[in-house]
Amino acid sequence: MKDNKRISVVLAGQGNTGKTSIFNYYTGSHQHTGNWAGKTIEKLEGTLYYKDYTIDVLDLPGIYSLTTLSVEELIAREYIIKHKPDVVINIVDATNLERNLIFTLQLLELECPLIIALNMVDIAKKKGIEIDTGKLQEKFNAPVIPTIAKRGTGLTELMDKVIEVKENGHEPGMIRYGREIESCVDELSAELKNTGLLYSERWIAIKLLEKDSEITNTISQIRPELIRRKETLEKRLEEIHGHDSSLVISDERSHYAAQIVSETAIMRPHRKLSLSDRLDIITTHKFAGYLVMILIVGGMFLTVFKLGNWLSSVLETVFSSWHNWWIASVGETFLASLSWSAIEGVLALVEIALPYILPFYIILYILEEWGYIARISFLMDNLMHKIGIHGKGCISFIIGLGCNVPGCLSCRIMESRRERFLTAVLVTLVPCSAVSVIVFGLVGKYVGLIWAFGLYVFAMVIIFIAGKILSKLLPGEPVELIMPMPDYKKPHLKAILYQTWDALKEFIYIAAPIVIIAGVVIQAINLAGWMPAISRFMSPVTVNWLGLPAITGILLIFGILRKELILVMLAAYLGTTEFAEVLTPVQMITLAVVSMFYVPCIATVSVLWKEYGWKRALAVTLIEILFAILLAGLVYRLLSLFDL
Amino acid sequence: MDTSGKPRSLIDLQEGQSGIVLSLNGGRNLTKRLADLGMGPGTRITVLRTSLFSGPVQVEVTGSKLVLGRGLASKILVEPR
Ligand SMILES: Nc1nc2c(ncn2[C@@H]2O[C@H](COP(=O)(O)OP(=O)(O)OP(=O)(O)O)[C@@H](O)[C@H]2O)c(=O)[nH]1
Ligand SMILES: [Mg+2]
Repeated sequence: MKDNKRISVVLAGQGNTGKTSIFNYYTGSHQHTGNWAGKTIEKLEGTLYYKDYTIDVLDLPGIYSLTTLSVEELIAREYIIKHKPDVVINIVDATNLERNLIFTLQLLELECPLIIALNMVDIAKKKGIEIDTGKLQEKFNAPVIPTIAKRGTGLTELMDKVIEVKENGHEPGMIRYGREIESCVDELSAELKNTGLLYSERWIAIKLLEKDSEITNTISQIRPELIRRKETLEKRLEEIHGHDSSLVISDERSHYAAQIVSETAIMRPHRKLSLSDRLDIITTHKFAGYLVMILIVGGMFLTVFKLGNWLSSVLETVFSSWHNWWIASVGETFLASLSWSAIEGVLALVEIALPYILPFYIILYILEEWGYIARISFLMDNLMHKIGIHGKGCISFIIGLGCNVPGCLSCRIMESRRERFLTAVLVTLVPCSAVSVIVFGLVGKYVGLIWAFGLYVFAMVIIFIAGKILSKLLPGEPVELIMPMPDYKKPHLKAILYQTWDALKEFIYIAAPIVIIAGVVIQAINLAGWMPAISRFMSPVTVNWLGLPAITGILLIFGILRKELILVMLAAYLGTTEFAEVLTPVQMITLAVVSMFYVPCIATVSVLWKEYGWKRALAVTLIEILFAILLAGLVYRLLSLFDL
Repeated sequence: MDTSGKPRSLIDLQEGQSGIVLSLNGGRNLTKRLADLGMGPGTRITVLRTSLFSGPVQVEVTGSKLVLGRGLASKILVEPR
């Protein structure tokens, strides 16, 4: 029995229409948004209390169809059919009305209680798109509410409408297609009575004619005699229209949507080209586009480096005065030194890691919200094909620059399992912001910026080569790119700040405790006199092969938890950030190379495990450890030939 | 290059040129995917951007922008108009 004061609402729509923005507004959560289709990869659940009601809101990944072409689409339609939410809110991007309405029609076919949220009306207005919502409402026989998700405009009205539909009920609109299609649908659905399935007969009939594999399988099991009938009807449609019956149905929807748009919307552009289009003249240009990309990505790294160095040195002066104060007022007893070492670990984390990691995240979020990521995919598609994946893989790489964990998860935007795995493995080779701490804070600062940049280029080359090899090892053809290109949007400041705050919170709640514990463990090992033993155990690799000081052995072990720990713990151990006193430039570069590739951190390994099974996760980890050690040793030997 | 006339592959259109989609031969799944995005036979399509070497093309269909991989675009037959 459904609770009377409980309402379940599902947010459904195509990619990048503002579903998660609306979800965040209603549930007060800060789930990540981004101006490209495919940001949300898993359904999100949240709750809202409003007007005596407990409203469960569910955000679905963006989908383009309710035919079983992808897992997400299957999940979405099963959810709507099985769970029978009280209301489905279809988020429609007003700036891509026609394309979005094709999906609306598919939702209407499901005959679920539907409300249309006409989102992004602010941008539509700027573009000179006028939509007659009253008329649209009539056409679909479903309420239409204009909204601006990022400002919250219209969202109260939308929720009021949800309650109204729940209280008064709503007869969902019925869509009628062209005569030939309808007659086939009628003939088929007449024979589909009492199938015992949850779906309506009409819907099953449409899906059968659309050659939906899942529905066809189901029916061929329970009503095998109907398959012949279905095929005859399909032939009839194909003879009339001259192409595959699955396309006939899609086309019918497209025409229907086009018809509705022509009756309800007017385009009156104020100027010939919108700001977004004018920007695209250079940002997706054959030649200039690549130049701009190099400038933007290079500028990003330069900003992170400059800002990071500056912040780091400011913090250094502040913290060193604290240490003097500590010695003066607490003293230098054994206990005082031990507790200082815990404090020092956290300070080192704040001083060394945060200044690089935070700007990195902020800039990446800005690029994502602005819409530049999709441009990179467009520009890089060609190159990505050479390593067996398509341009969307770049999106995962760029997210991976911030953190490999969401980077690996985002690989779900890739269509085939082969490509998902291939991309995920390559993402683990992408130097994340934690690695950038070592690249910038160590190599950039003490060896030279050019070497830091060189390391990034080196990483790209390695990823390319690894991709080449992997794509040969994993058989299969690369899938072709189909990607909606979003308009540039003004980055949503609040979303960026919240997402950055999330990254900061992870620092406080996860990184800081780890640093304290690791610091204490290292101190304890030191006091117990085990350090030489551990160092000796690791030294064939660290000292003999990599030419690093023996202490790096234990640091590399802790680095598995979080890679920035390598540098942070080194600073804490030394009691100084003057790394030049203990490491030569060649050693710095070698350490950076091992850190870059030696193992995906523990969080990334667990994601790989979850997504691809323990065998593959373990294989990737082991291979990368061996590879990194081999590579860094070679780098060390090569660089030692030159006098740095 | 003449701007109208006989059917040709989408990749043979130049930036700014439009055409009517005649057939899509990129395999059942991709064709269906495109149809669900509003790009079926008979749709008007405008090439916005082509790219270097054998990169993707950016097109406009149903008032929306879409990027299509080169291999797929080459299998789409259009009649320039
Ligand atoms: N100007 C404007 N921008 C919006 C509006 N709604 C959302 N956005 C922006 O549009 C982008 C996409 O928003 P999301 O909420 O991530 O969209 P989504 O539908 O969840 O996207 P997927 O999860 O990829 O399917 C973000 O950059 C938002 O800040 C709006 O009403 N007006
Ligand atoms: Mg989302």
